[in-house]
Amino acid sequence: MIGYLNLILRLVIWFLLTANLSVPNIIIGVTIALLLPHSHKVRGSLTDWLRALWGTIVAIPQAYMEAVEIIFRPHNFEEVTMEQVQPNRPPGLVFLDIFLITFTPKSIVLKYHEENGGYEVHWVRRRKKV
Amino acid sequence: MSELFSYVCLGVGIVFSFWGTSHLLQRRSVFFKLHSLSVADTLGSMAILFGLLLNRPSEWPLLLLAIICLAIWNTMLGYVLAYCSSGNGKND
Repeated sequence: MIGYLNLILRLVIWFLLTANLSVPNIIIGVTIALLLPHSHKVRGSLTDWLRALWGTIVAIPQAYMEAVEIIFRPHNFEEVTMEQVQPNRPPGLVFLDIFLITFTPKSIVLKYHEENGGYEVHWVRRRKKV
Repeated sequence: MSELFSYVCLGVGIVFSFWGTSHLLQRRSVFFKLHSLSVADTLGSMAILFGLLLNRPSEWPLLLLAIICLAIWNTMLGYVLAYCSSGNGKND
């Protein structure tokens, strides 16, 4: 099932790039999407993937809200925290997690600790934490 | 209406870009500058491209692809810069 998500992603990029929905182009796109190398064992459950993809969509308005907040209320204090996740997450989900955290302007991932499953996150805060 | 909204998006993008880039001149840590740059580069440029998308709907596939590429590359390069600057990486 998750393999289909990968295939759909490749096809979306192909059709956006070529902007052409003629039959030969669809055949070429599907052939390339199937021929490109992919890993056969995709780890992570479908719900995890769908949750991460939904998070990506929600992150866009959230990022703009955070940007407006930073602009109008200066966030001058910095802080580093550890965000815990399950250890040994599949690489694709780690990529999406890092993307989601770094995409929002108030937080940036500094490092992923693979062994204990945690992200080191750098934050800007409005007030100093005591 | 759509034209007005497109100019609003372009304006917001330009404001974000200038605001974020102005922080480069301050004496702050690299991470603090990266936070402002993610406002400027990622969100500002995305707003500008979205404004263009509303203005030139016929070019939507390329502009949409540009928005997706911008979001992914800016964010990942921000992470790479933060990772390298934190000084705890194995390959720095």
